[in-house]
Amino acid sequence: MSLRTAKIVSLLVTLIGAIVLWQGSTFSSLGNQQGYEPVQPINFSHKLHAGDNQIACLYCHSGADKSKVAGIPAASTCMNCHQRILKDSPEIQKITRAIDENKPIEWVKVNDLPDHAIFNHSRHVIASIKCQQCHGAVETMDRISQADTLSMGSCVACHRSHREVTLDEVGRPVVSEEATAKKLMASTDCSVCHH
Amino acid sequence: MREEKLWQIIKRQDANGEFCESAETPRSVMPRRTFVELMGFAAAAAALGGCRAPEQKIIAYVKQPVEFTPGVANWYASTCGGCPAACGTLVKVRDGRPIKLEGNPEHPLSKGGLCAVAHGLVFGLYDGERLRQPLSKTQAATWEDVDQQIKWQLTTIKQSGGKVRLLSAPTSSPTSRQTIDNFLQQFADGKHIVYRGVSNAAIGAAHWQTHNVAALPVYHFDKARVIVSFSADFLGAWISPMQFTRDYSAGRNLQAEKRELSRHIQFESRLSLTGSNADKRVKVSSAEEMDALLLLAKFIATKANAAKQNDFAAIHAERLAPKILQAVEQAANELWQHRGESLVVSGANDTDAQRLVNFINQTLGNYGKTLEVNATTQQRMENDGDMMELMREMNAGEVAALIIVDANPAYDFFNSREFKNGLAKVGLKVSLNAYLDETSALVDYVCPRHHTLEAWDDAEPATGVFSLAQPTIAPLFQTRAWQESLLRWSNDERKFYEVLRGRWQEKIFPQQSKYAKFDEFWDSSLHDGVLVVEAKTTATNAAFTANTKASTTPAAFTVVTKTPATQPAFTVATKASTTSAALSVATKIPAPPIAFVADDLSAAIKRFDERAANAVGKLNLVLYEKIALRDGALANNPWLQELPDPISKVTWDNYACISPALAEKLKLEDGRVVRLSKGDTTIELPVYIQAQQHDDCIAIAVGYGRTKAGKIGNGVGVNSYPLGAFDNGTFQYQTADITIEKTLAKVELALTQRHNTLDGRPLIKELSLAEVVKGYSETASESAPSKSIWQDHAYLEHKWGMVIDLNACTGCSACLLSCQAENNVPVVGKDEVRRQREMHWLRIDRYYQSDNDQERVVYQPVMCAQCENASCESVCPVLATVHSSEGLNMQVYNRCVGTRYCANNCPYKVRRFNWFEYEHPDPIANLALNPDVTVRSRGVMEKCTFCVQRIEEAKIQARNEDREIKDGEIQTACQQSCPTQAIVFGDLVNLESRVNKLKHDKRDYILLEELNLQPAISYLAKVRNVEGEKTSGT
Repeated sequence: MSLRTAKIVSLLVTLIGAIVLWQGSTFSSLGNQQGYEPVQPINFSHKLHAGDNQIACLYCHSGADKSKVAGIPAASTCMNCHQRILKDSPEIQKITRAIDENKPIEWVKVNDLPDHAIFNHSRHVIASIKCQQCHGAVETMDRISQADTLSMGSCVACHRSHREVTLDEVGRPVVSEEATAKKLMASTDCSVCHH
Repeated sequence: MREEKLWQIIKRQDANGEFCESAETPRSVMPRRTFVELMGFAAAAAALGGCRAPEQKIIAYVKQPVEFTPGVANWYASTCGGCPAACGTLVKVRDGRPIKLEGNPEHPLSKGGLCAVAHGLVFGLYDGERLRQPLSKTQAATWEDVDQQIKWQLTTIKQSGGKVRLLSAPTSSPTSRQTIDNFLQQFADGKHIVYRGVSNAAIGAAHWQTHNVAALPVYHFDKARVIVSFSADFLGAWISPMQFTRDYSAGRNLQAEKRELSRHIQFESRLSLTGSNADKRVKVSSAEEMDALLLLAKFIATKANAAKQNDFAAIHAERLAPKILQAVEQAANELWQHRGESLVVSGANDTDAQRLVNFINQTLGNYGKTLEVNATTQQRMENDGDMMELMREMNAGEVAALIIVDANPAYDFFNSREFKNGLAKVGLKVSLNAYLDETSALVDYVCPRHHTLEAWDDAEPATGVFSLAQPTIAPLFQTRAWQESLLRWSNDERKFYEVLRGRWQEKIFPQQSKYAKFDEFWDSSLHDGVLVVEAKTTATNAAFTANTKASTTPAAFTVVTKTPATQPAFTVATKASTTSAALSVATKIPAPPIAFVADDLSAAIKRFDERAANAVGKLNLVLYEKIALRDGALANNPWLQELPDPISKVTWDNYACISPALAEKLKLEDGRVVRLSKGDTTIELPVYIQAQQHDDCIAIAVGYGRTKAGKIGNGVGVNSYPLGAFDNGTFQYQTADITIEKTLAKVELALTQRHNTLDGRPLIKELSLAEVVKGYSETASESAPSKSIWQDHAYLEHKWGMVIDLNACTGCSACLLSCQAENNVPVVGKDEVRRQREMHWLRIDRYYQSDNDQERVVYQPVMCAQCENASCESVCPVLATVHSSEGLNMQVYNRCVGTRYCANNCPYKVRRFNWFEYEHPDPIANLALNPDVTVRSRGVMEKCTFCVQRIEEAKIQARNEDREIKDGEIQTACQQSCPTQAIVFGDLVNLESRVNKLKHDKRDYILLEELNLQPAISYLAKVRNVEGEKTSGT
């Protein structure tokens, strides 16, 4: 592409871009992956495991109450049960093969936050926030899909409602004798997530 | 050769290197309009293309390791491999990769301090230019082939009885030295030569003569009430700077109720970091320094009425100026007054000087108190005479095989040509260095060793202090522990780990009684990283058995003891280590007294006096090590290269420091290139005008001018090692035979501070000790509260604050690199530093002061002060910098549009702007990044956050455990590594917190208080132990 063509194209695209941006809704949904439901390397069903069989989330996602990340179970974790159950199924065979070849399974990430947002699972799990609050009704999903927008708006809305502090007319916290550290729960400081 | 052309080359190198700017540099030729148009296109394209984020993979383990949770950092206690000082480290490993080193507070020597070099190790680990596989004649080879060929050749040598020489850098690891010895024992004529470019061999050699101990003593700067140093840079780069800094600051700590300060007098010609911290710095020429040492010895001998006082009759101290004479006399008086609790050290690598120092310390009764030879230090073991002998053998063609471990004499030997010529005559040449450096490029086989963070090792920095180094990552490349290479070639198929564990079981396990089972002992030692064995072992180790021959340890400088001399002149009954922190625990078997040998000093005195006479009135060249680059082995590390020198504030270069008066005399200005010649050796490098330096002194740092360090280190500065010499049995780093010549060339040095004086501004408050003892009457709180147009902030939970003790800060800059490693601070390169675009979040301002003929230097660390009435917050148009509910001045990168108003409005000038996208094109180098801190992109402002990621982590941890945050639980990166504990961080809401108490110290003051910014950082005034105020006054 010559520089001239590049100029023309860029001008056009800038114009189109400006019009698109004018339409506020389009802009706000930029980067919103709600409903993202990629095909996974193994046909794993959360409905079957978490829903029908009532296996606790933390059995597989064992980092969720300890770490920033919930963690994806290692192939060996699957085999804790599948050594006996359905071991001839072609899907389970994929796991067996992964272990035999020492080649990890590459899952596709569904619920993904931008790199500049830092989220800690353990704090939310221990504070008794239900997994479903952000991840949706996982126990009904055959294939996992992103239920929430995972936008900053959804985080902040929840953090605001979990803050047991009276605010004055300017929006600053009112210091009172009762307001102990324990009552102050979710912070809305930017640096809580962005650092 | 230092002309404009060269600089252009360097610029081009930068463009290929790691810190190049991205495609659009300000120097590009694209017209502005085209640029804007294309940017519009790019933005629109990004908007359309960004509708769906790229698919990301999560790769789970096949089998998850037991101790490991993804996202949670594991900490391993280990030992720093940056230099043989072997400080204790804690290595932070996130998701399998070490990302940060911190000091191990439980280490008895370094006690939690960790220097700049150690922090740089993380970058060195991920340096893609390390050798990735063995080389045979510079061609990539396999380990099997290389082993086979080397073993075959060694077998031939074994049969013919040829000389095998192993040249290594000093190592404080006993197991490694044992491995070397076992390897050499195969041969009829095997010898281990310990070599370092910058040597301290004279200290050991002098102790061999005066105390029959061929090793360096253990120094206790904390126990010395008076410290007199003759250009020993013990706070900077001398032997074990972190340990010494920690001990030194312990003797000068005013944070507690104590109102005592040790007194520190420094005689030196160049301005060293140590000298800049002295209570009294006596500026002398090299000749005067020698005379002053002689005279001090004479004064002390006279006071003690020692038999040797007559030896000093012939010295020519009258050469000294009256002012210096007086200073020496006063130093002698103070030393004599505090005999037994004083310490004299000298940085000269000259046996005569060190013997005089030993004589002084001995006469003052300091042995066994402020320094000891019953316990020795293995931190330096080099032997310069051995190295010269090796040169002779090599050049005579006598050496059949030379194996080089971590030594690079082709670069740092003063006569590298002789080394190279000799090397060509060696039959089998093998290097175990990690890089294809100057020496490795000349050998037959290079068998690259692991990085220290990948390898097992141990260390015994001082007798009885054992520590372990453990691998914190699987080897990134096809490298091998260097000890393992030697094991293979000794037909030993064991892993070095097995050897290490075996030796600990055999030698160290029996010395303790706490654990009955070795496995428990091993696990506990590995967990703690360090182990102090009881003093009884000290006795057995360094015992004076007359027949202890060097048979078990033929290495040059282990604790080799010779038969005590027939007539010990002074017998000092040392209390061994009962008072020592390092070697605590009651002595079961009293250590044998170390005898001071009737050393005939007269010859040394005469020689030393003549040398001084020789240097009088001449220009003297002093070679020195910088705190970051040291001997130059780690030159390929951009963090270390960009760390501003604490005194000169120059980055990415070495230079000839000259005094302002000399500059005026020679009509030189900063950056003017000069030609320095000594005999037929000539180097050209720029001049830096160094205040407070002696007029007869030219000081040049070594460690620069590498040619095969790697892309980053090559061609930075000029190699000054060729100006060194070998004389009187040791390498000399001072010479009087130097000529200086002005050239036409001029370069711009990359400085980070250009204004050097306070100009009467009250930025740094200083007090004398007397004022502190009496009670400093003028307190900051007396001034009326200023009126503000802002509403006060209310703090319910926390309000983070910090106090920096200027009395403790030595300017060592460890905090700076700790911050850089923790917070993913980019390196910008020399050219950008020249434009004052360095990115360090923390800077240390250095000011020169002079009053009443006494010259001083003060340091002040400055980072974002998290102001209450922050001037940055009120000017940000997009609310990218706002106040948090915990008093932090948050910088929200994703909101920032880069107007830079905030930086403009910040009176402390602590905000940093990303002028470019500082890319890390090497994927391996990216592994060094801290995943808890956002990597900032171009056009974004950044600054110190008080390590908010650590605050958040601690808050989450405390809440998860349903408890309050403990005071001291959160340590900022700068605070953690500070060897003097000058930085105290904590919660101001907690009235009992340490930081809160220090804020009420009478020394507390606020920088630029008149602006009423109410910063969260305040400073504690600097206190000097000035003359007339005796420390014993309390």
